[in-house]
Amino acid sequence: MSHLLDKLNFFQSKELEQFSDGWGQTTRENRDWEDTYRNRWRHDKIVRSTHGVNCTGSCSWKIYVKSGIVTWETQQTDYPRTRAGLPNHEPRGCARGASYSWYLYSANRVKNPLIRGALMRAWRKMRETMTPVAAWAAIQSDPILRASYTKTRGKGGFVRASWDEATEIVAAANAYTAKTYGPDRVFGFSPIPAMSMVSYAAGSRYLSLLGGTCMSFYDWYCDLPPASPQTWGEQTDVPESADWYNAGFLMLWGSNVPQTRTPDAHFYTEVRYRGTKSAVVSPDYSEAAKFGDIWLNPQAGTDAALAMAMGHVILRDYHLDRQAEYFEEYARKYTDMPMLVRLDEKDGHFVPGRMLRAEDFDDKLGETNNPDWKTVAYDEASGQIVAPNGSIGFRWGEEGSWNLEERAKGSETKLRLSQILDGDHDEVIGVDFPYFGGAATGDFVKCDHPEVLTRNIPARRVTLADGKEVLVATVFDLFCGNYGLDRGLGGGWVSKDFNDDSPYTPAWAEKITGVAREKIIAVAREFAGNAEKTRGKSMVILGAGLNHWYHMDMAYRGIINMLVMCGCIGQEGGGWSHYVGQEKLRPQTGWQPLAFALDWNRPPRHMNSTSAWYAHTDQWRYETLSAGEILSPTAPEGDWDISLIDYNIRAERMGWLPSAPQLKTNPLEVSKKAKAAGKDIPTFVAEQLKSGDLQMSCEDPDAPENWPRNLFVWRSNLLGSSGKGHEYFLKHLLGTDHGVMGKDLGEEGGVMPIEAVWHDEAPKGKLDLLVTIDFRMSTTCVYSDIVLPTASWYEKDDLNTSDMHPFIHPLQAAVDPAYESRSDWEIFKSIARKFSEVAPEVLGVETDIVQLPLLHDTPGELAQAHVKDWKKGECDLIPGKTAPNYIAVERDYPNLYKKFTSVGPLLEKLGNGGKGITWDTKVEVGHLRDLNGVVQDEGVSKGHAKLETAIDAAEMILMLAPETNGEVAVKAWEELEKPTGRHHAHLAEGAHHTKIRFRDIAAQPRKIISSPTWSGIESEDVCYNAGYTNVHELIPWRTLTGRQQIYQDHLWMRAFGEGFVSYRPPVDLKTITAAVNNDAAEGSPHVVLNFITPHQKWGIHSTYTDNLLMLTLNRGGPVVWMSEVDAQKAGLVDNDWVEAYNINGALTARVVVSQRIKQGTLFMYHAQEKIVNTPGSEKTGHRGGIHNSVTRTTLKPTHMIGGYAQLSYGFNYYGTVGSNRDEFVIVRKMKKVDWLDTPATRKVEAAE
Amino acid sequence: MMDRTLKALSLTLSYPSAELQGAMPEIGAVLGADPRIAPDTRAALQALADGLGRGDLFDVQESYVMLFDRSRTLSLNLFEHVHGESRDRGGAMVSLIETYRGGGFEPATSELPDHLPVLLEFLASRPASEARETLADAAHILDALGVRLVRRESGYAAVFEALKQLSGAKADAEAVAEMLAHPDDDPTDLAALDAVWEETEVTFGPDPNAGCPQVRDMLAQMDKPAPNPMNRSA
Repeated sequence: MSHLLDKLNFFQSKELEQFSDGWGQTTRENRDWEDTYRNRWRHDKIVRSTHGVNCTGSCSWKIYVKSGIVTWETQQTDYPRTRAGLPNHEPRGCARGASYSWYLYSANRVKNPLIRGALMRAWRKMRETMTPVAAWAAIQSDPILRASYTKTRGKGGFVRASWDEATEIVAAANAYTAKTYGPDRVFGFSPIPAMSMVSYAAGSRYLSLLGGTCMSFYDWYCDLPPASPQTWGEQTDVPESADWYNAGFLMLWGSNVPQTRTPDAHFYTEVRYRGTKSAVVSPDYSEAAKFGDIWLNPQAGTDAALAMAMGHVILRDYHLDRQAEYFEEYARKYTDMPMLVRLDEKDGHFVPGRMLRAEDFDDKLGETNNPDWKTVAYDEASGQIVAPNGSIGFRWGEEGSWNLEERAKGSETKLRLSQILDGDHDEVIGVDFPYFGGAATGDFVKCDHPEVLTRNIPARRVTLADGKEVLVATVFDLFCGNYGLDRGLGGGWVSKDFNDDSPYTPAWAEKITGVAREKIIAVAREFAGNAEKTRGKSMVILGAGLNHWYHMDMAYRGIINMLVMCGCIGQEGGGWSHYVGQEKLRPQTGWQPLAFALDWNRPPRHMNSTSAWYAHTDQWRYETLSAGEILSPTAPEGDWDISLIDYNIRAERMGWLPSAPQLKTNPLEVSKKAKAAGKDIPTFVAEQLKSGDLQMSCEDPDAPENWPRNLFVWRSNLLGSSGKGHEYFLKHLLGTDHGVMGKDLGEEGGVMPIEAVWHDEAPKGKLDLLVTIDFRMSTTCVYSDIVLPTASWYEKDDLNTSDMHPFIHPLQAAVDPAYESRSDWEIFKSIARKFSEVAPEVLGVETDIVQLPLLHDTPGELAQAHVKDWKKGECDLIPGKTAPNYIAVERDYPNLYKKFTSVGPLLEKLGNGGKGITWDTKVEVGHLRDLNGVVQDEGVSKGHAKLETAIDAAEMILMLAPETNGEVAVKAWEELEKPTGRHHAHLAEGAHHTKIRFRDIAAQPRKIISSPTWSGIESEDVCYNAGYTNVHELIPWRTLTGRQQIYQDHLWMRAFGEGFVSYRPPVDLKTITAAVNNDAAEGSPHVVLNFITPHQKWGIHSTYTDNLLMLTLNRGGPVVWMSEVDAQKAGLVDNDWVEAYNINGALTARVVVSQRIKQGTLFMYHAQEKIVNTPGSEKTGHRGGIHNSVTRTTLKPTHMIGGYAQLSYGFNYYGTVGSNRDEFVIVRKMKKVDWLDTPATRKVEAAE
Repeated sequence: MMDRTLKALSLTLSYPSAELQGAMPEIGAVLGADPRIAPDTRAALQALADGLGRGDLFDVQESYVMLFDRSRTLSLNLFEHVHGESRDRGGAMVSLIETYRGGGFEPATSELPDHLPVLLEFLASRPASEARETLADAAHILDALGVRLVRRESGYAAVFEALKQLSGAKADAEAVAEMLAHPDDDPTDLAALDAVWEETEVTFGPDPNAGCPQVRDMLAQMDKPAPNPMNRSA
């Protein structure tokens, strides 16, 4: 390859031709050497794909392929242009994305189906003489055989298997479980469908046809902000990142945009050049902090105090001392502030009670339909109390008045916000508000004031239909009282001076948060001042870190209230930007029928994971938090002092939350008994539940009948990343080595639950089978019984959307899946095929009974105006009203595969829809037949549209969804016009003939079409902004009042002191006991710190930290971050190995000592894998845990509320959330580092 | 004419199946009869073949998966050791496929082209000189894998010893040492780990032109032609 012979070394030719005025020169030297470079970058094709890892980037990448091998990737730069005046989106992508192709050929890749050797041995032996289901049954009924593989989980010992054999074991296990215990004992966990919709749908479609349980993720990840459904009746809806550029004042609150939203961060940079001011709230000096014109660093976990103080300033300056016209008008039209609240008397004191309803008045204010769900206000125009349009009672059972027009019964109204003026109130009355800031755990500041603060409120006397005279106040007046503002009404606990030490003043907040009052006042004033001038263009970009505290609702509602007070919600450039993962599945209504097999049977089985894992990993058996500790001192009478699991059980039996499993008896058997008894299913189940012959599984989670038996994990690293209470998962669900150091309530002699059955001996190893589908050997794979190798993101066809930009993006198979791997779609298809072959051994056409909670966006959300428990005899058990519904669903098990691979008949029969509206979709199903082809084989699927390939499945999503099919969008908007009585179809008209297909997005990412599923619009005039259609189209929020709900009047909300927002310090989880802290006993150096787990820069989003390219940029193995002060206390220097532990378990890591970190806190970045460089723990004797080894999840009763307008269950919409930031750990230097590198079970090697 | 020894070594390094177990006596016989291999290595190979043939199938499979599927430093994909996470890996695999095609073969396996048994099977069909040359090129990798297997007291080490002898080459001791300098998957001492991951301390000295030591180290790292993977997974 030497070119020396071709090159002149000592001469330069004089006869060289020159061009371009002598700037260019022609040479005669041989230039073959350049081919090396040409060849280096030569490729056969470029394919567009992206990374499906719950990263909101959803960035377009070019994947270069040469001879069937992916050689590298680069950023795409062909996004559709934004409108004039806005910066463009590209280039998108970050270092993490650019390093992704490493995974394809990494040695960490799962190459073949793997099975635990002991299981394979047993299986082969049984299969010699037995049929598949019989073989599985034989293994399960032999405790020694079962233990031979369950006890070795996480200890190696895998052998390869063929696909045929692996799928046969899975199918046999599923069939056995359905037959023996019930199909709902087959669980499936997969998160965030938006990151690869078809791959998610593959598994959930299989489970839904089987009758298995699809587990939620958004709530479990604690990314679901319950404050959003509470306030807006909306899971989460946020502005796109381009809208940051429209903001006039931008707050970053706990969000680290440059680090975790890298491809979008440029909009933040750019808007600062436009002159927008930015305030950054972050306890540590994060990468975002340097972007701030002002940096506020509150003590982590005290954000609510900061938000309350800012709210205090805004109310004082813009609503009371001077009424900003825009704010006042916004509050009247778009919030519940004018609504009337009854003041309840208790022991001579008054507390805010329920919102008054039309039902309470004479003649029900003329409302015959749902008068108990129509809230009321005082109308200044007529001088009467009216039930204004838009409350949730108008949504169901009538048409035309569910809107935010300022009308009631057809007449124009002007609702009164405040009764402060002399003529408007009859008296000034002391009303009690709870105060929680007086007691705090750990180093959190206690700000000692009484636990009940009485404040004077202007109230009016009103006579109700029952003749009773009651006192009523507006939400606004109570709200001002709650924020501690002096309005000249006398009384205590209100102030006029920001320097008073009285709850919620800036001076008070300074004590708690450590942020100077001047800064709080300045930021609040600038935030509101800008909003007033720009009509709402103040924005808060909110990081979910705040949402991971037990009392997350307080921080979130405090911030939301600031935005509501200033009219920022629903205004371009303003609003609430809570960015977590890819929570936004844009073509949601097209995807649901595919994902939950709604084309074949309804309803599917959905479960909220937090409650499920809490029960089934037995974390409830170790509960240290009692309801009494979080109850409000102003709580109404009631038996509130029960365990948290008891609350959950009550919520399940009242139909508020779902259950999994559902009934202790196999539902396939219950249906047979019902038939034998000649009764319809709901009646039969109700009778049996009442008599006690039938029990709900939730009442006894440890009974073997109620264990989850099979678990699929796909697209997820449940055990390595999101499994709060990791060690409890290992101990009870898996039954293997674990690091739990605490004792359960039985051993401790704690307070026992009263609803849940207690077993002295807790089960260990509930799961019969754990199947993980992944392309890399993750921590979860290591603990699985079967690992199936799946296609990576450059090896499959799929769809991807994000909330950060309005484009729908493909994943594409640039190359075939490497080794033996297959796409998720093909994997579940092959399991379905095998299941249909195997199942007839024990299952035929069966009748299943699905238990369905009272769902949001259905008439069920009006089920329970009052809390009544049938089991306590407070009401009768009426399925679907006072309890869950029980619905018969036919399962045709032998035909499961045929159903999986075709579009079923229910879409044509029942239509399609979402969020409370339904439209006819026969046309689209017809188009799918034309596009995908029609099944020709005889059987149940004959004549239906085919669903053979992942692209077929993608086309089904795109065809059915209004966001990707303009014709459907117009239909959907027209449907919404019925309840609202207003014209909306104009938002999609013109897009009638836009139909986005898979090949279109392969050519270029496409912008979606405006749809009623979302509250923002896609337009050439404004950016996507949540709440836009509520404000500009007058479509109500899906809440009780139809308005932004800042007062929560549900009984449980009032009982737990969260009717109004307040500051609640972190809860005391009592994980640092004297028994566990032997460093304290021995007097060895250590430090106790608050443990938090933010997202990092070197992992693949929240999921993996094993990419060597990324690890090389950091320190390789697991690290924790600590302040210099704390390091000194514990005698640590940078890079020391440390152990962090508490009663939940222990983890080992190196310490990074940094000035960046605020004292009192320990950071451990999310998802640092146990499989990478983790030595043994001295405390537990096992390999050091992951970040979740020291956490345990705990539930909050207010998240369990159901059957009550916006507080009704929806999958990933409402429910308990897995908070984990109130945790403390002991940190100490490791004395000896042991890599535990001797094999757990010494294997005889072949040659020995 | 196929080089039956290379073919036998390819089979020995393949995932053990019942069929392969059945063929082990034959494979052992081929390996035991090749005079190019030193007698004690031949004996070791025969012992390996014997063990693989007679061992409990599940045990030998588990051990194979643990060694070659799960341990990055023992990966049978050769480019893992040459290119690691570098972008050159894709290109290198492409040229290997082209080599196979040039030799008249189309890969018919789900394994990647740099999988050692694939390469050995290919070489078995090539002229002896070419096979020797190719093996000699890879000598330092084969040597390093052999050393690691010896450390693990695995009988598979004999395969790599045999390959070394067949190549006739003496592995570049420096290259082997460099590979072995990177700790195995199961690191035994903390000091080795420190050496790999420790960052240079940043000092803010009086000389503004002294430069940042961290950047200097990073640049030095980049200057290395073929960075080795720094793999520490267990």
